[in-house]
This record gives sequence, C-alpha cells and structure tokens, in this order.
Amino acid sequence: MIQLVNWFRRASRERGLDRELQYHYDRRVADLTAAGIPEPEARRRVAVELGLAQVREEVRDVWLTRWLRDFLYDLRFSARSFLRSPGFTATTLLSLALGIGATTAIYSLVDQVILHALPVREPGRLVLVDWNADDLITGAIGSSNQMPHAICRELQQQTRFLDGVLCRAEIQVNLTAGGDPRPVAAEIVSGSYFPVLGVGPALGRVIEPEDDSAPGTGPVVVLSYDFWQSQFGGAADVVGRKVLIGNHPMTVVGVAAAGFRGVDVGAVPAFWMPTSMYADSNLSTSEDLFNGPERWLQILARLRPGVSAAQAQTGLLPWFRPWLEDSTRRPGFPGISAERRRLYLASTLILTPAPQGHSPFRRSLSQPLWVLFAATGVLLGLACLNVAGLFLARGSARGRELGTRLALGASRGRIGRQLLADSLLLAFAGGILGIALAPAAMRALIAFLPHDLAANALRPSLSLDLLGFAFLVSFAAGLLSGIAPALHAGRDNLVNSLRERGGTSSGGARLRKAIVTLQVAFSLILLIGAALFLRTLTGLVAKGPGFNTSNLLAFAIAPLENGYSRVDASRLVRRLDEQVRALPATRSSATARFAVLTGGHWSNKVTMQTDRRIVTDGFINFNSVSPGFFSTVGVRLVAGRDFDRSDTRPPGEIGPRCAIVNQAFVKRYLAGRDPLGVPIARGGGSADVKPDSPIVGVVADMSYRGLRDRSEQVFFPLFEHDDTGATFYIRVRGAPQQAIPSIRRLVQQDDPRLPILWFRTLDDQVSRSLNTERMLAALSGSFGALALLLSLVGLYGVMSFVVTRRTREIGIRLALGATRASTLSLVLRDAVTMIAAGVALALSCVAALGKLVQSQLFGISATDPATIAAAAMVLAAGALAAAFIPAWRASNVSPTDALRLE
Amino acid sequence: MPSPRFPLPQGTLDMLILQILSLEPAHGYGIAQRLDQISRSVVHVNQGSLYPALHRLQQKRWLRAGWKPSETGREAKFYSLTPAGRRQLVVEKDSWARLSGAVNLIFEEGSR
Repeated sequence: MIQLVNWFRRASRERGLDRELQYHYDRRVADLTAAGIPEPEARRRVAVELGLAQVREEVRDVWLTRWLRDFLYDLRFSARSFLRSPGFTATTLLSLALGIGATTAIYSLVDQVILHALPVREPGRLVLVDWNADDLITGAIGSSNQMPHAICRELQQQTRFLDGVLCRAEIQVNLTAGGDPRPVAAEIVSGSYFPVLGVGPALGRVIEPEDDSAPGTGPVVVLSYDFWQSQFGGAADVVGRKVLIGNHPMTVVGVAAAGFRGVDVGAVPAFWMPTSMYADSNLSTSEDLFNGPERWLQILARLRPGVSAAQAQTGLLPWFRPWLEDSTRRPGFPGISAERRRLYLASTLILTPAPQGHSPFRRSLSQPLWVLFAATGVLLGLACLNVAGLFLARGSARGRELGTRLALGASRGRIGRQLLADSLLLAFAGGILGIALAPAAMRALIAFLPHDLAANALRPSLSLDLLGFAFLVSFAAGLLSGIAPALHAGRDNLVNSLRERGGTSSGGARLRKAIVTLQVAFSLILLIGAALFLRTLTGLVAKGPGFNTSNLLAFAIAPLENGYSRVDASRLVRRLDEQVRALPATRSSATARFAVLTGGHWSNKVTMQTDRRIVTDGFINFNSVSPGFFSTVGVRLVAGRDFDRSDTRPPGEIGPRCAIVNQAFVKRYLAGRDPLGVPIARGGGSADVKPDSPIVGVVADMSYRGLRDRSEQVFFPLFEHDDTGATFYIRVRGAPQQAIPSIRRLVQQDDPRLPILWFRTLDDQVSRSLNTERMLAALSGSFGALALLLSLVGLYGVMSFVVTRRTREIGIRLALGATRASTLSLVLRDAVTMIAAGVALALSCVAALGKLVQSQLFGISATDPATIAAAAMVLAAGALAAAFIPAWRASNVSPTDALRLE
Repeated sequence: MPSPRFPLPQGTLDMLILQILSLEPAHGYGIAQRLDQISRSVVHVNQGSLYPALHRLQQKRWLRAGWKPSETGREAKFYSLTPAGRRQLVVEKDSWARLSGAVNLIFEEGSR
C-alpha cells in the first residue's frame, strides 16, 4: 500500500533523495579536502565510494518492489503509446469490450439461473427429497418432485440425519388488498419453511410452526420484500392488515427479509401462506391434503452437519420401509398387482443436493444459457485472436523500435513483458467498457426470455461476483491476446530487424496466419450455430401450431381461485361461453380446460380395448374441449364427428361419454384399424381402468404444450359437471384487438371481482412460446455476424501485410513476365490455404459441439450437411472477397515502382 | 586491493543503525561517520548501502525522518527512532545476544 503511495509521490521522493545524497557527498568531499586530499581527487574518490547511481536504484527498489515498479513503468509506457495510435486502440478496445461485455452479461444470467445458491443460511446443506415410486400409484403429476404432506411431517422426526425439513408448493391465487383482485404467484409453505432456511422477517414475523399445526389454524400471510415495496409502498403499518386470498380473509403478519425470493428461481412469490390453509388456496378443495396421500408439495431438507446426501438417503431407509408398508393399508390406496406392489415397496427416497433450491425454470433455461455461454466464450476467444493479430501487426511495425531496444541491451523477457503489459492494459480498459455495456446487454437478454418468468426473477444488475468474473475474464483475455505477440517479440534476427528493410524475416507472418486460421474456424462454428438456430426458428414459425392463428383470441379465468364451487364455476364458464358467442364480433367460440401453447399440460397413460387390451407406453396429452372447439381454432376433423351437447355428462355419471383422438395417436396405437368406436380410458396399468369412452372422431394434429410438440392427444367433452375449464378461444371478425374490450366487459358484468388471468391473440401466444428459440436465433445470429466481421478484418489485415512484404518479389516476378492472373493466384493461394484449414478445423469441432445444441433444435440435425455447407460457403465467399482486395492490389503493382522502392 | 577490514555480516547493518539512532537523531553522513568511529575502523560499511537501509527502515516505520539544520548550518535529513523502532532494537539485540552466545558456546566446546 505504502508502495503505491510512493509511486504517486515519486517526484518528491526523488528530490528528497537527491538532496540527502548531495549533502553526504558535499560533507565527505569537504572532510577529505580538509584532510589534505586535493579536491578533484576527493570528488572522484567519494563518487566511487558512494556509487550514486546504484544507491538511487537500490533506494527506489525499497520504495517500490522492482517488478511492481517495472510493471507500472510498462503500463505508463503502454498508455502513452496507445494514446499515440487512437485508431488501433479504439479497434482493439471495442472488440475486447464487446467480447467481455457479452460474456459478462450471459454469465450473469447463468449465475442467477443456474449457479447462484439461495440467499439462506448454509445453502450447501439443503437437499431436495424425491421419491422414485411409480407415479401412477402415488398420484404424482409429471416430474416436479412432488410429495405428500404426511412424508414431510414424518421426515421432521428423522433428526439423526436431518436438521429440519420444509415443504412448499407454488400456487396461483387471486389476491385482494384494498383494490381489485389480482392474480399473483405465491408459495404455500410448511411452518418449518422459514426456520429451516434461516430467513427472518424484515418487519413483523415470518410463518411459524404454530401457524401450520393443523388444518385451518393459521390464516396469515407473510409478504415478500419486493411485493411489499411495489404494492404497499413499503408501508410500515402493513402488519395486521387484512387481505383476501380468493375470498378468504387472511392477516398480514410480516414481511420476509429483503433479497429472499423463495426457493424457486423463476417463480417469485408475492407472499407465503402456511400449508394449514390449503383449503383457502385454489388447490383442490375436496381432498384432505394435510393427511391424504396426494403428492402436491416439494420437500427440501437440511442435512445435519457432516452428513452427506447419500448417507442420509441410506440412513432414512429403516424408517421409510415400514412407512411404505403402512401406506399400502391406508384407504384410497389403489389395487395393484403383486409385481407392482413389490416394486412400490422397493421404492426409496432420493436426496439430491439443492443449494440453489428447486426450479423447473432452471431446467428449461439452463441448456439454452449454456449454449449461449459457450457461444460468447468463442466470441471472446475470437476478439482475443483479433487483438493478438493487431498486436502482431503493430509489433512488426514497431520492429525497429524493439530491435533498437534489444541492441541497447534490453532482454527479450523484458520486451515481452512490455508487450504483455500492453495487452493487459487494453484488456482491463476493455473490461471496464464491457462492464459498462453489460447491464444494457443483460436487459436485452432478459427481454428475450419467457416474459412472465424472467421479468421478475432476473435482475440486470452488477454484483461483486460479476465484477470479479469480468475481472478474471479481462485478465484471461489480456493474457490470451498478449501471450503470442510477447513470446514472439525479439524472435526475429536482431540484425535483420535493424536493417532498413527486413526482406527475409517472416515478421510473424506464420503466427498471424495461424491466428487467422483459428479465427476462420471460430467464426464458422458460430455461423453454423446461427444457421441452425435460425432454421429452427423459421421451421417452427413455418410449421405453426397446426391451425390458423390469425383473428384468434384467447383468455383465461380461474373461478375456483375466487371461491366458486365446481358446479358454480362450471355454470359460469358455460354462461360466458354463450354470451361471448352472441357478440357481433364473434365468428365462433369455444372453451378448453387447458390453454394450448403455454407449456402446461394434463397427461396420463391411456388404456384401449380392441381385440385385446392396449396400454400406451408413454403419457398422452389430454384436454377437455367444448363442442365447436376444433372448428373454432381451425383443426380439421379427419373422421367421425365433433362433440355435441349430448356428450355432456349429467351429474352423477362417472367418466367421459366419448373421446376424440388426433392422427398421431391413431398412427401410433391404432394403425391399420378403424379408430372410430374403439373404447378408451384415462390411466393405464391397474386392472380397474375400464375403457368405456368410445372414440367418436379423429382430428388433425395440433401443437399443445408448445410448437415443437406434436404428440399423441386425446380430447374429452367439456361441460361435465366437475370440469371447470376456463380458457376461451374466440375467432373474431376484423381486428382481434378491437374485440377485446367488449369481451372484457362481458366478464366484468358477470362478476366484477373475477380477474381475467390473461388475454391475448394466438399470434402473440405463438410468438411468446418461441421466446427461447428467438433468443438463440437472434443472439447466435448477431454473434455469427460479429464473428464473421472480425475474422474478415483479420484476414484482410494479414493479406495486406503479406502483400506489402512481398511487393518487391511481386515486382520482380512481373518484370520477369509473370501475368496479372498468375500474381493474383499466387497471393490468393495463401488465403485459400488459411480458409481451407480454418474450415477443416471448424468441421471437426462441429460434431462434438452438435451434442450441446441438438436438444435446442427442431426439424434439423446439428450436423445438417446443407446448413453446414451453406455456412461454409458464406464464410469462404466473404473471406475470399476480403483476401481479393490486397491480392488485386498486388497484381496491380507496377514493376518499376516496386523495384524503385528498394 | 583487499580491504583490511571485515565486511559487515548480512542483516546486522539495520541493527547497528537502530543502535546508533537510539542515542540521538542523526543524518546519513553522521551515521556513516559514527559507524566508522565506533567500530574503530574494524568493520567496513559500504557507504552506498547505508541509504537503502535507512529508507527500508523508514518504510517499516521504525525510523522517522525530517529536515533540520545540521552542525554546519546546512539542512540535512535527520533520522530518529520511533517507539516501534525502539522495540525492534530490543528484539534484535536480544536475538543477537543469543546468537553470539550460542556461537561462543560452540567455540568453547571445541577448544576444551
């Protein structure tokens, strides 16, 4: 520290030292002359005795360690020389800033989505508890690691291995807090949630075990800090206020600590409520979720110190085995075969480390993010290569300066270090610029992500971690771009470089060619990636969802969340459906239980009865739709008939009366048969599934979960008494936006307290569902373009350099009768070699990288020959054009001029 | 020309400077002269190496320095001991005493 102060005070330090030494010198000379030595002799002797120059240097070493001093001098020298060539500086700075900025921005998302541990006490000891039993027996839905409430409570007794267990589920509820009800995301959590995570209140208190002791005991909510700030203006008197969840009154008892946003990145809860109040949330109201076997919660546990996840998993077996035995005797346990019973009893709890919590969002986003991270890494590498190339060019221009310094006794290491200081200085300046650019880049990135999730879950802010990362990246970039020129420094023959014209020296041409080759390879990789993602996007857009989306509107309501009973909800939906159909702007309209293209789905296996019993090997996607759904969205009826009113099941009757399947289903399971009339049923496996709903129609395939999905689907008639499906599809006349207000008014007239969850055109829905694809295509496209530009500039630079070096040779060739064409090909041959080598290098990497991106592609293989060939052609054409300009210049060299230059 | 005097053992110069300055503040030339006189010209101190040592000790905050008129009336940079320097001197004297004692013991053991 003192040393750095010394650096900035070095002028006054130097003056002090001079004065001090001068004093010594004068006194000594005076003493010696007084002793009778003649003054000139005295001066000479004192000068030898003291060794002034060396003393000064040694004192300077005391002030500032030698290497640090040298380094600071190097930096100052570098800064001065950069200021002398602003064009060069701006180019290199910009390419580094772009590379570092992009990498930092993507890394921030990777960090926030994938790597960041929860802001809780000792997140490293958190594990996710899952159960590998057959979902069909335990009633789990999909693969979201859900567990029954009972296991959570019993796990809490296992204190030998676990320090605490919490359970939680995401819920969507309508919250009324002194205004209109609004749909918000929330978390319903066990009383152990906050204590186990070690998260405290910012205000009031958090949910405590007493709130969660028995059903209905804790009508309290704890607000999230962000929600409290944005919706309540951070009001201090929020504690004690009453709010409505659906139409159940609850009391706000506190605000959770700032920065805590639940355990799921991507689902930011507005508030937390205890699981004891499950009946007041919009979860199923008919079952006893507190004691029943329903799997509806995720369980996170905190391991005891020193216990590993594997140890705990094994250690829990002696407790879990009897629990399983016991569960088979409980009421409601399905009748299953002996074999499946054996499998069920052999199932175990699976504990996986979860320091980052539980997040389906992370799962869906992590691959695209890693792909982008890899792409920015390549881009940054390219920028470094570009800077290295520019440094080499500058180095050969500075050849004489370096030669002179070598001749004066500078060591090669010393000069190499100087060049390294150059690149480090540039990289850090580039890094600072990059960090300045990063927040804007992050905002742009977040805008590309699925909106509802990303907007509140991700922050475009710089953290200390991020600055550290940017610093490391800058340092690495500085080393990468500086190491080749530094190693190369002074490799040239000293005598040659001092000669007026270093005709024979290579001037780093070979190194520069290697760099350009690498650049070509890197940019081809990025170009191929861009082409693949672009074709995926255009392929998906061209394919569409399987129906015409123009003039099609959709909106959703959730009457159950507002306290409707199932029967009332069903009536409301039917009433609204009729009113919407009566609107003048409506051409046709229908409702579905689940919205399409939103990622959500309802699925199970299907059992069919033909000449034998067939159970599907995979899950089939289901939906319930009203009559006219297919004609409204425009899905063709291939065979049979649509549902009609008579298909609606009267109260009391169990099971749907009939079903419609799609072509994919027929092709997969009923090929070669007449599908009409085949009885089917939801569920598979157990013998009590009775196929009794005949197939009455076959429809063309349409996308359900997303555009990529064209799975087997089965549709059942809506408007059965317990179906409360609430997504409305309306085909309108004229502009869809104009119809929205009148439809909104309809809903409001019916129930002013019922919010519309979302209202959008299907075009908008399609485009939303393509967010990730669009992000990948747009970013990889711009990376590819940038990479292409960088490598073309690099190639152009090297070719110009080579041509300038060979001007004399070319002049002689021309004078001896070589033709323009042969000169042109002479120079171009060089370029072609570099391009071909780069392409070959890239192609060998593409196969390996293909695995990384394959899952993100649609309708195209990662090694699609046509795409790769097209990208390679674009690159080769651009590269040849870049090389052609210097080659043309070479062929136009006038022999007399070239030779006169000598 | 071989010097008739001993070169100063490594690391002892700092200790000697601290010892001299513990008596009274002095400037660089004064310290050099004092070293010469006290050691009765037995020990050879390279005058040049004095200054890096002084600056080093100052950087360690064992010495402080200031410009004052010297005995000739001209301004000179005077060094004096800080409290930390005084403590350091005690430590160094102690360890020197133990080292030389140990060396003496070994010699006496050999000659007995």
